[in-house]
Amino acid sequence: MPVPKWLVVARNEYRIHTSSIRKIRKYFPFLTIGLLVVYVLFIAPAVVSLFIDDFLVFIISVAAVPMVQIILFMFFFYLMLFPISDTLREVKTEQLEIFLASPVKPSDVLLGEFLGKMPFYTIAITVITGTFTALLNPLGLDVVQNAIIIIVFVITFLSAIWIGTVIAAILRTKLGKSVRGKDVGRALSVIIVLPMIAVMYAIIGGGLIEALIDPTTSGTVRTFLGMLPSSWGAEIFVGLASNPNNISAFGLETLTRFGSLIAFFVAVLWLGAKAANRAYSLESTTFTASKAKPDGLFYKTVKYLGGGGSSGTLLASIFKDYGRRLENLSWIAYVVGLIAMLSIFLSDPFSSPRDPLVILSLMAIPLLTGFVVGTVSRGKETLFLYRKSPNGVGRFVKARLLQGWLVAVPIAAAIMAVSTILVPQVTLFSLLINTIWGSIRTMASVAFLLGLALLIPVFAEESRERTLGIIINLQVILFTTIGLEIGFSRFGLSFRRLLPNLEPFTGLLLDHLLQTAIISLVGIVLFYLGKRKLSRIE
Amino acid sequence: MKILIRTDKLSKYYGKGSEIKAVDELDLEVYEGETFGLLGPNGAGKTTTVRLLNCIIKPTSGTATVNGHDILKEETDVKRVTGLLAESPGLYEKLSAHEFLEFMGALYDVPSDVLPERIDDLLKLFSLYDRRDYLLEGYSRGMKQKILIAAALIHDPPILFLDEPTSMLDPRAALMVKDLIKGLADRAGKTIFICSHILPVVEELCDRIGIINQGRLIALGTIDEIITQTKTKTLEEAFIAITGGVEEKELLAWREQKGAGA
Repeated sequence: MPVPKWLVVARNEYRIHTSSIRKIRKYFPFLTIGLLVVYVLFIAPAVVSLFIDDFLVFIISVAAVPMVQIILFMFFFYLMLFPISDTLREVKTEQLEIFLASPVKPSDVLLGEFLGKMPFYTIAITVITGTFTALLNPLGLDVVQNAIIIIVFVITFLSAIWIGTVIAAILRTKLGKSVRGKDVGRALSVIIVLPMIAVMYAIIGGGLIEALIDPTTSGTVRTFLGMLPSSWGAEIFVGLASNPNNISAFGLETLTRFGSLIAFFVAVLWLGAKAANRAYSLESTTFTASKAKPDGLFYKTVKYLGGGGSSGTLLASIFKDYGRRLENLSWIAYVVGLIAMLSIFLSDPFSSPRDPLVILSLMAIPLLTGFVVGTVSRGKETLFLYRKSPNGVGRFVKARLLQGWLVAVPIAAAIMAVSTILVPQVTLFSLLINTIWGSIRTMASVAFLLGLALLIPVFAEESRERTLGIIINLQVILFTTIGLEIGFSRFGLSFRRLLPNLEPFTGLLLDHLLQTAIISLVGIVLFYLGKRKLSRIE
Repeated sequence: MKILIRTDKLSKYYGKGSEIKAVDELDLEVYEGETFGLLGPNGAGKTTTVRLLNCIIKPTSGTATVNGHDILKEETDVKRVTGLLAESPGLYEKLSAHEFLEFMGALYDVPSDVLPERIDDLLKLFSLYDRRDYLLEGYSRGMKQKILIAAALIHDPPILFLDEPTSMLDPRAALMVKDLIKGLADRAGKTIFICSHILPVVEELCDRIGIINQGRLIALGTIDEIITQTKTKTLEEAFIAITGGVEEKELLAWREQKGAGA
């Protein structure tokens, strides 16, 4: 009897994901199960024992239901997002033809892909469920109550992963057929996490939990949360935890929610299988090729700013290649979104003119510049174009520096200006100073990070490898910036410390200007070393 | 002679109002044991035809039979009797050659008592047996192509579709693939459908050819017949005569423009 096709696909998927540990593949399940048993039986109880007293007070409080709702919603959302984000980062449809040419049903492929990744998701599900059951252990829940809670967690998370897998498969098919679609996918993979961050910020500083507890303010959000299956699970969890050994106290409600959760799981499984035919198709969806318009005022200005002639054309070409990739724009949107959420959710992040200066120089400017100039070129082929042309590398890196400034400086200046305007009773002088200072700091940061990117270039087309390279460079500048900040404040290098009579804001400004000068100097050195490296790269 | 592939006004249109005719009313017959070549410039409709005949995409109108199975009604049967080497195929780079062929064999229900021996035979045939446990990500293009041809043969189908089988290969590997195709046709009696725009390959391997341009079949017959029909001397000249080409005098016109020289 032939092996079921979903099992063939699942086995293949498992092999692909364990290819890096092929030598221990046989032992991997046993090792994992062993480690998970140790976690569930020993580590999780030990960890939760540190805050179990607080938890026992919490679980009978009014905050318990909304808090568990939010926590489960975040796990649900994250587990759903994971396969989507993973697929969008590198949309690949090449293997589709293998499946479509073979006698396999699309639903078998979908189920196989889902089950093939399941061992890894099971690790996450076990860790989360194990932690929650460890929390409940001191309450003395009976076996049935514990079993219900474990089933609730498993079903909730499996539903999330299945929904994510189906959406990912559909998006892969829709987006993977064109270069533009793949670019859209990469862009989405960046900004898709923003809602998750928004929820986190809202919990940390936005008073989300407090608002949910307050019956006068929680209406819409509570209704929305109540509709989510993760919330049904949360209510079962809290209901059982508040009535240990007394399942009848919560009987009908538990049963209804439990039944709804199972019905939801069955429904999403069925709908997913139905959607599989759409998810696996090589039918072309569009024949619209992206077309470049003649250069308008913007690119004419860029050419002018690049010195006109061939230098201006070079700068405009680099600008076009950058700006026409949605992935690049999505990184900018991501950074701007982060700052916006910081302002919206955290209470009074900018209470004095010095706050934007400090907060944005530590986080926003390095992040922004890192993503603007973090990739030198996509593939070595582009680099070799410059290497072949007379003085090509020198002209290329200068154009990249100028392009980095032209992109990052206006955005950073705008972020700085808006953040400063949010400061109560801000003066025009502070606004101007902060904006100018933000621009100068960004220019230094661009030189620093471009130098680093040139020195340790990543030429990969794959988004994952490029992002890793950018993150490594970001760590360098973040450590440098924080190091300078600590050095100035702790070790007496500060103007404020050397000249105690100096007005505090002026002192801070001078400190930051000195830091910026240091970053610029290091940036120039890195830039020239990077340029040399690029000229010699084989 | 038994007809193994027959298309009947097979069409595939795309876009609003079906303005893009990828394949347009294709009528074609391919006989058992024959090596048939479908020639055409890039974007002519060759790959779309192959995808239609392998039930990867559905026709807008018309139909076809492959080994007697209707592509609209008997998809699974069609897929079982065909092997496909796609133009831009996806390999699982994180699998070894052995693992990949094992996966492909399982997809096509090759019995588990036959599969290991067949994988070994194919790997030996393509001189890759010693590298069977290496991940495919480390293979050269030629080696990957060999693995894909082996995958197309894993269930020993009577009909093989080879879309640009030698396009990525070095001369030695290309020669090996051509010899293999000849062997499959002559000794194993396979029916082979080759898509290519590399004329010498088609010339060397195919018993009959069809020339497709903008979705329409514009010539069909043996190579000699097509050369005779077009009153040319070579297949290359016949191909250009049928599909159109750039006039020689136009090729260097750009140099005569003012300031074109560096």
